[in-house]
Amino acid sequence: MADLSLELCGVKLKNPIIAASGTFGFGREFDELYDIGQIGGISVKGLSLKPRTGNPPSRIAETPSGMLNSVGLQNPGVRSFIDNDLPWLLTKDVAVIANITGTTMDEYCQMAQVLAPTGVHMLEMNISCPNVHEGGVAFGVKPESVYAITKAVKAESRQPLIVKLTPNVADITENALAAQEAGADAISMINTLTGIAVDVNKRRMILHNNTGGLSGPAVRPVALHMVWQSAKKVSIPIIGMGGIETGEDAAAFMLCGAQAVMVGTANFTDPFACPRIVKELDAYCEKQGVKNAQELVGTLQEY
Amino acid sequence: MMRDMDARVLACEPLAEGLTRLILYAPEIASSAKPGQFVQMLVPDNAHVLRRPISLMAYDPQAGTMTLAIQPKGRGTELICSLKAGQTVRVLGPLGTGFDAGEAKKVYFAGGGVGVAPICCAMDAFANEHARAFFGFRSAAYAYGMTQAPCAVTAVSDDGTLGEKALVTKPLLAAIHAKKPDLIMACGPAPMLAAVQKIALELDIPCQLSLEERMGCGIGACLGCNVKIVAPDGSWCYKRVCKDGPVFDAKEVAMHG
Repeated sequence: MADLSLELCGVKLKNPIIAASGTFGFGREFDELYDIGQIGGISVKGLSLKPRTGNPPSRIAETPSGMLNSVGLQNPGVRSFIDNDLPWLLTKDVAVIANITGTTMDEYCQMAQVLAPTGVHMLEMNISCPNVHEGGVAFGVKPESVYAITKAVKAESRQPLIVKLTPNVADITENALAAQEAGADAISMINTLTGIAVDVNKRRMILHNNTGGLSGPAVRPVALHMVWQSAKKVSIPIIGMGGIETGEDAAAFMLCGAQAVMVGTANFTDPFACPRIVKELDAYCEKQGVKNAQELVGTLQEY
Repeated sequence: MMRDMDARVLACEPLAEGLTRLILYAPEIASSAKPGQFVQMLVPDNAHVLRRPISLMAYDPQAGTMTLAIQPKGRGTELICSLKAGQTVRVLGPLGTGFDAGEAKKVYFAGGGVGVAPICCAMDAFANEHARAFFGFRSAAYAYGMTQAPCAVTAVSDDGTLGEKALVTKPLLAAIHAKKPDLIMACGPAPMLAAVQKIALELDIPCQLSLEERMGCGIGACLGCNVKIVAPDGSWCYKRVCKDGPVFDAKEVAMHG
């Protein structure tokens, strides 16, 4: 057994496997299948200040080795989460990351304030959702706006602040740097890549929102590249994600410089993906003679 | 209790035109299944990230088996339909709510196309001597589910090669006018469900509709399969087909978005 534990921005995780926001709800459904305390953390379904109804169906389309989604951040609102879901989640031995989204900078700041006195362990600021027409990604594209919103929300945050970055930009490392300079405690990357799916028989878009976010193994090489690039530029921790399906995929992100990883789409392919990946990462470490999984971080040999 | 398991394929054979019958040995799932529920099937390759939601056509807790009717629509369902007896396939289930006859004594069943499959399952559980079933198919070649039906079945087709050339709502409506049922259970293409819903609401007949939508997780976490649901006060929200459905009360479903 390798030691998979780590301290991420001062928060102890028993392993670096975190369920990615939007694929895991608030954990209740997966807890019917296995004890969610087996995984390091859960980034909950994206929360907004007020409840959001989300986008009309169809919201999902499968694509080669991946999928598009345009759920549109349907959620019951941050206060409902705090009252109805957080108390239950905190009884589980798992780090709880509140993923927050807003349409104005003020909304993000208010959410950080509302979450400040709660038992949430970390905040993940989503400034990269491609599926809502206002806000969200509007803050996440230009380094100046990444800096401004990170600075403002950090000032209101009591928990460590993770900034989730979009890959739909010219140079993601500039945004990673902007987040770091503004005081982010960590960055998570990558959110989904914008795409569309076409029903050629009906000659129309499959997704009602027209566009959606691409995830799954199809994006993994892009995600690995962006993590690798960003890890060279920033000193704050990186949480890597993008098509992780196995323990070896998780290890690849860690070799590229990620301290922890998030698992999203794989939860749909295999509802036991997260605990399986924990075991597979352990086996990989054993095979590599690595005693502590954190020894892997950033040790990729390059040409 | 839902289970994710490797189910052994007992048979994989043509059921009708464009439809494959898959019989699986999955005792843990069959023992807790209800009519109207579905399973999430992993495509037997390593390339498809989403499972395919397939309704139960029949299940037998004693034998530990379940029967599925699958329409090969794309590469994923084609691969599932090309499974051979003796192979295994990963299946998560049983999932979702089911049909519920409650106190209803006289149930009318309405099924269209591949939607006849879950109706067969509901008929096995709820059909009695008062029950009537109405099936609609594209043509005679597409028909199935009638030979061992536990109640009288009236079938119609789009081209008149089976029964009357009509939509399934025609014989359903005639039967309702002859004798009003306590409950209607329906599954089929969206236009058919909308028509059944209209009849049920206008004639004030309780009605349960089984919906279909593209799905992600299948267990209620991802909100990928949500449909619009209307509350009695006229307000609406999105509910999950996989967890809150797939069977919904016709009064609350907004069939036209």
